[in-house]
Amino acid sequence: MNGPASVGISGFRFRVLAAMMLLVVVATGLALLFAQHNAEETVRRDFERQFRGELAAVRVVQEVRHAAQAERCRVLARKSRIHAALEDSARDLLYPSARDEMRDLLAPDSEAGAAASPFQARFYRFLDATGAVIPPPDATIAGRLSAHEEQRLALPGKSGRAETGFLPRHTAGGREVDEIIAMPIVSTETRETIASLVLGFGPMAPHPDEGAEIRNGLWMDGRLYVPGLTAEMQADAERLLAGSVTSGTPGEGANVLLGGEPFLSFSEPVNAGSHYPTAYLVGLCPLADSFARQRALMWEFIGAGLLLILGAYVIGRGMSVRLSQPVERLAVDSEQQRAQRRRAELALGHTNAELQRSARFSADASHQLKTPVTVLRAGLEELLADEHLAPEIREELSGLVHQTFRLTNVIEDLLLLSRMEAGRLHLDLEPVDLTQLLDGLRDDLDALPDAGEFTIETHLPAGLTILGERRYTALILQNLLENARKYNVPGGRIRMAAREEDGFCVLTIGNTGRAIDVDSRAHVFERFHRGTAGENIPGHGLGLNLARELARLHGGDLALCLSGENWTEFEVRFRLAPQEASRPKA
Amino acid sequence: MKASAVLLALILAAVNASAGDIEGHVALPTARRTPVVNRRYEIVATEGVLSTSPPLAVVYLEGDWPAPAEPAIARMAQKDMNFLPALLPVQVGTRVEFPNLDDRYHNIFSFSPVKRFDLGRYRKDEKPVPSVVFDRPGLEVLRCDIHEHMRAIILVLSTPHFTLTDPDGHYRLSGIPPGHYVLKAWIDSRTTRERPVEISGGETVAADLP
Repeated sequence: MNGPASVGISGFRFRVLAAMMLLVVVATGLALLFAQHNAEETVRRDFERQFRGELAAVRVVQEVRHAAQAERCRVLARKSRIHAALEDSARDLLYPSARDEMRDLLAPDSEAGAAASPFQARFYRFLDATGAVIPPPDATIAGRLSAHEEQRLALPGKSGRAETGFLPRHTAGGREVDEIIAMPIVSTETRETIASLVLGFGPMAPHPDEGAEIRNGLWMDGRLYVPGLTAEMQADAERLLAGSVTSGTPGEGANVLLGGEPFLSFSEPVNAGSHYPTAYLVGLCPLADSFARQRALMWEFIGAGLLLILGAYVIGRGMSVRLSQPVERLAVDSEQQRAQRRRAELALGHTNAELQRSARFSADASHQLKTPVTVLRAGLEELLADEHLAPEIREELSGLVHQTFRLTNVIEDLLLLSRMEAGRLHLDLEPVDLTQLLDGLRDDLDALPDAGEFTIETHLPAGLTILGERRYTALILQNLLENARKYNVPGGRIRMAAREEDGFCVLTIGNTGRAIDVDSRAHVFERFHRGTAGENIPGHGLGLNLARELARLHGGDLALCLSGENWTEFEVRFRLAPQEASRPKA
Repeated sequence: MKASAVLLALILAAVNASAGDIEGHVALPTARRTPVVNRRYEIVATEGVLSTSPPLAVVYLEGDWPAPAEPAIARMAQKDMNFLPALLPVQVGTRVEFPNLDDRYHNIFSFSPVKRFDLGRYRKDEKPVPSVVFDRPGLEVLRCDIHEHMRAIILVLSTPHFTLTDPDGHYRLSGIPPGHYVLKAWIDSRTTRERPVEISGGETVAADLP
């Protein structure tokens, strides 16, 4: 945990956390941005829908009122007296008759501003067949109108249908727009429009529910008639809406700033197709509320975003700690392992050097020993050459010469082992005819003086070819057979058998004799180990060790496979020579 | 005074004794609708012209006739939401009564220059029966203020010699003193035909108005 590892771990943890936070922040940001945009859009749409709904309700109310008014006009236009006055040459009776008919319809005092009821008319006029106004005999009889206003009631010509128009007026109640309906009076005699009855109705009083929320009014001739607007708002509206009202798509809202306050405005023509100038219904809805709602929503979203990020930070931290735990363990482990390996490598280096040193030592020692032994043997043989030696001395000397041969063998073996251990023994592998080799060795055994004491059995397939260096392969087999002979019992037997198995040649060499006791079995291949039974058996305890090392060097192995009552068997494996190369050179 | 009245009556009787008749045929416009079986007539307005449907004509002798000693009384009822008859010729000075035979209100009025009047609303049992004296000759269009479709014509004539044709256009004027006259046929509010006619006395003069 200390040192560079802990720095690396905290760095890793920080990176994990940073990556997670980045991911969370980006994802949260995007999601919130999207959601906020959506919500804002929804709020705006809701608002607009509500606004439109209210405006539509206003429209419906107005249409109902208009329909009722138009129906009144239609009824009036059919009245017998009015027809009689027009058709029976009695124009002088026209207005009086109409006044009689309209006694309940006409507001009691048309000068008093707002009409008492939305269905009461403020004034009426008749138009003749050409659309010109038939002046009333007396202004009071038909509601007062200025000459200019009266002129605006005229229609360009005959009209076979009801026309709706609007008449801006300056009344005691301020700037107002009266709705006018021109109803054609169709002669029952000619079926032609002989006149028109024009009725003027006061503007509809704003509904108390509307309050300050939505204002609606009319746009006509570049002027806006919306009750309750300040002069500044009025001026702004007339300036800003001039283009959009008349040319805009009906039903499409526009944001405008009136007197510093944001409004959503809608407009649509109310008397499209009429011969009277077109007027537009204009709805103005203050957006301050909507904006406030949107702002509140935005803050909510920002708050939610911060909370989310905070939560993500806490969770991310926990997760990064948890995620880094295995890595941390791994790092610690690997750190420990690295240390161990370093120690092991160091030890190995030491050992290797030691080994090299000892191998070199034994090689050097062997070399150093070989010469004196040779010198010794030469000296002894020289002594033996003396014909005058007493027979007992000669026997002693010949024993010593024999000992020098043994010493040479040991030295040779040690030299070979030390070369192997120093890694300086390189084998020239080639196909070796094992059967042939064993046959030769068997012949050697047979030639020994004690050959008659045991029988030799061989179970060898012909032409068994292995990979090996002939010299060392022979040494392995020689050592094994030597052992089999040495540890045999009189009248015993030696058995050699070979078989092929998985690309290997498995050769077993067994002999009769005392079993190797269980404790010694594990040590038979150790250097200078000699069996308990071998105290009086010649040997130096290097044979099996050397054989095994060589067998392994050949890519094979040597093992004690069986040691039972009166039978011990070793198994040696050699690699089989590839088929195409199995023609032995020897 | 009484003697002079008796004398006048005698003179009149003498005149009557030698009075002649006029009969003939007025070519009526072809009926636009199938003939009404129950012989009810109504005033229709076609392109601004009032006429009866099916067509009828009023045939009369023009001339300056003395007003009748006793004002005549004529009737124009309102029945089944219509005037009955729809076309009524009367002599100047005639009082026309307008009994309401329907079970609902009617309001007879006229804005015609001949005689403007308005009888107001009244019901069936209105007594005395509302009436109007027509003292100027001319065409009087009557309407009902309540029922816009109701229309009637009273043709106020300055002659006592008038009659309605039958649906085929045949007519007969009786008791006409000998003399030269102008015979007129009122076809509709815009069309009046006329021809001279001479009554010799005691005979029937044929006078068709094509």
